Amino acid sequence: MGSSSKKGKEKESRKRRFEENPQDSPKEKRHKHKKHHHHHHKDHKDRKRDNKPTKYDDEKSSRQYESEDSDVVEIIDDPPTSSPPAPISPQDKAQENQSNHQDSLSIDETNKLRAKLGLKPLDQGHTSSKDDMKKDEWGEFYHKPAQNINEKTQQEKVRTKLQEMREKRRLSHKLSAVKTLGESDDEEDLTAWVDKSRKKAEEKLEAQKRERMLEELDAQLEENRVKTPKKYTEKDLKGLTIQHDLDSFDEEKTVILTLKDKAILDEDGDDVLVNVNMIDEEKYRKNIENKKKKAIYNPYEDEEFDDDGNYRGKSLLGKYDEEIGGEKRESFKIGYDNAQERKEASMRQIKAKLAKKRLESASESNLKLASDYYNEEEMAKFKKPKRKIKKIRTKGKLQDLNDSKQDDSGGSESRRPGNKIDIDIDDVPSVDIDMSDVKIEDEKDDLLERALHKARKIRQKENVLADIVKMEVKEEAEEDADGANIVLNSTAEFCRTLGDIPTYGKSGNRDENDENMDYQDERSKSDSDEDVEFIEETAGWNSVEANQGLTSSQIGHQEAQILDEEPDVGTGVGAALKLAMSKGYLDKEQDKRPSNSRLAHLQAKNYSIEDKSYGDEGGERQGGRRERYSGPITEFKEKDAFKPNVKLEYIDDDGHVLNSKEAFRYLSHKFHGKGPGKNKVEKRIQKSAQEQLMKKMSSTDTPLGTLNMLQAKQKETQSAYVVLSGNKQANSTSTLSKVRR
Amino acid sequence: MIEITCNDRLGKKVRVKCNPDDTVGDLKKLIAAQTGTRWDKIVLKKWYTTFKDHIQLQDYEIHDGMNIELYYQ
Repeated sequence: MGSSSKKGKEKESRKRRFEENPQDSPKEKRHKHKKHHHHHHKDHKDRKRDNKPTKYDDEKSSRQYESEDSDVVEIIDDPPTSSPPAPISPQDKAQENQSNHQDSLSIDETNKLRAKLGLKPLDQGHTSSKDDMKKDEWGEFYHKPAQNINEKTQQEKVRTKLQEMREKRRLSHKLSAVKTLGESDDEEDLTAWVDKSRKKAEEKLEAQKRERMLEELDAQLEENRVKTPKKYTEKDLKGLTIQHDLDSFDEEKTVILTLKDKAILDEDGDDVLVNVNMIDEEKYRKNIENKKKKAIYNPYEDEEFDDDGNYRGKSLLGKYDEEIGGEKRESFKIGYDNAQERKEASMRQIKAKLAKKRLESASESNLKLASDYYNEEEMAKFKKPKRKIKKIRTKGKLQDLNDSKQDDSGGSESRRPGNKIDIDIDDVPSVDIDMSDVKIEDEKDDLLERALHKARKIRQKENVLADIVKMEVKEEAEEDADGANIVLNSTAEFCRTLGDIPTYGKSGNRDENDENMDYQDERSKSDSDEDVEFIEETAGWNSVEANQGLTSSQIGHQEAQILDEEPDVGTGVGAALKLAMSKGYLDKEQDKRPSNSRLAHLQAKNYSIEDKSYGDEGGERQGGRRERYSGPITEFKEKDAFKPNVKLEYIDDDGHVLNSKEAFRYLSHKFHGKGPGKNKVEKRIQKSAQEQLMKKMSSTDTPLGTLNMLQAKQKETQSAYVVLSGNKQANSTSTLSKVRR
Repeated sequence: MIEITCNDRLGKKVRVKCNPDDTVGDLKKLIAAQTGTRWDKIVLKKWYTTFKDHIQLQDYEIHDGMNIELYYQ
């Protein structure tokens, strides 16, 4: 019985407690009542089970009030060890019923504790009500019910109706004050009407009177105004400044001037008259001036006199004076006649202008007819810009041209249209100059002339040399053509180049002058040509040099002799061996490369690996040494001579050498870890034993030794025969058996 | 007022009355007063979420009658 039995025991022990403790907590009592009838019939069983001695853990046993043997029932007055329930309020009691733990504090206790901890007391009821708002009785959240749209519309209807009614009432109330046409009739009282009309008439009269009075007052005031005005004459205007140039006012033209605006606090300033239109005009003029103005840069500051010729004095950065000090304005005062002054000023201005100007006669430039063409003088003035001529011609063409020039007489130069001259001096890169277009001054002409002359000379020299060479070659060719018909083919050309190489090295044409280098080259070429031709005449095309051909033929001859020589077999064993070797019946000892393993004992002990590797190459040791330093860049050399002697041998546990089939079987068994069957093993052992016997068996006798016996018998009987007989001739057989023994 | 059950499954199970706007730290102090452990050694958990001290119970959506796992650090 495992845990289930233990559980059962616990349960029953609890039950027992209920039974045995009549005074228990009310809750437990209730439990008891509930459970008692339930489990009553089980009690017997439980008790029976309890008969067996059982073990309880300490905690349980402390609570148990029963002895080991179940028959004895102890009744103990003591209350249970669990802490006594505190005095509980009815609410708390309910809670206490829910939880069978005593670790829950009451609200009061909790509040006390909270006060100690510095927390606010528990709020009772509020939260629960709040919770109820959101939750239904099962603690589930519920939603606000959806609005009934029908109700809503009905409400809306009612509301609008009410609104309408209200409006109607308001309007009717308003209209009730106004009398309709029909209604007005009922107030037809004569006296009232007369009074009314009379009142109206009186009012009218009064209004007229007042109007007249006002008019009179106005008239009086006007009269006063007309009478009083002081004559605002020129006298009053005297002393007023007008901030315009006097010249800007035309005569016989009225200009309306207004007082210029000025600051309110500026009291001492005189009144200034201006015309708005003229101000605008001045501004406009100023703007134009500003636009026209060039960059102010006067490096010498020499304008120390103003327009009138007065000395102005040097002013630092005079261009900013206007901006700093405000604009200077022409102004004049009414009443002060300064005509004389102005006249003088104008005179001075004119004088200054005249002083600045220089005289210019009108007749200086003589007129002439315009023409599309320049005359001679103009042509002389007019200078064409130099044109650079591209060098289009190739050098070969130039050469041709020069050659032809050489061939031609000197007169041909004049005939040529563009007088092209090729200047080829060492320092100067060759430049083509169009002589017709360029005018050269006399001093320079000399230099150029000299240079040209020099170049021409050099060219001439070259050409002469070339001509000589050509001539020679031609002659030779002609001679050859006379001697034999030679056809130059590709092979001949190849041979010619072959022959070219040694002559090139031997002849010291390297230290020739650069000038006749070409000529030398040509010469050498032609020389080689001659050589080739000579050889072709004497020998076959393949033997370029006679010596070489000879050596090669000699070598060939020697090889043939070795092959032909056949050793005489009759002279001895050595000769025979030689023959066999040559025929291939026997291998030479050299050819049979002994493997390292077999000849290991012969190898030197102080023999480094490096040496060994180079030693294999034998004769190439020197080269190998050199290769050592060149590193692994050199290509891999295949070791032709290396033929290792490899032999695969398998030996079984008994030391027998296995053939391939057996070896396979052996390895297979080893690999699979599964040997052959018992019968097979026996068979194999038998076979091997038989083989052993076969090996031991003499080749000259039968296994029973009959031949030996026969010979012995023959010796005994001194006869060449032996009589073989059956049982009847017992003698002979007995003799044989005797021998065997 | 809500009542929360805290259980370390080692023999301590307490029911604590508290306000929903109490912080977890306050709850821990109350638990500490009832169980007799130091409040700063208490760890409250629900599954794998460890409740932090400065957050209110209602923010963790701890409601009446909920069980909270009680651990010690």
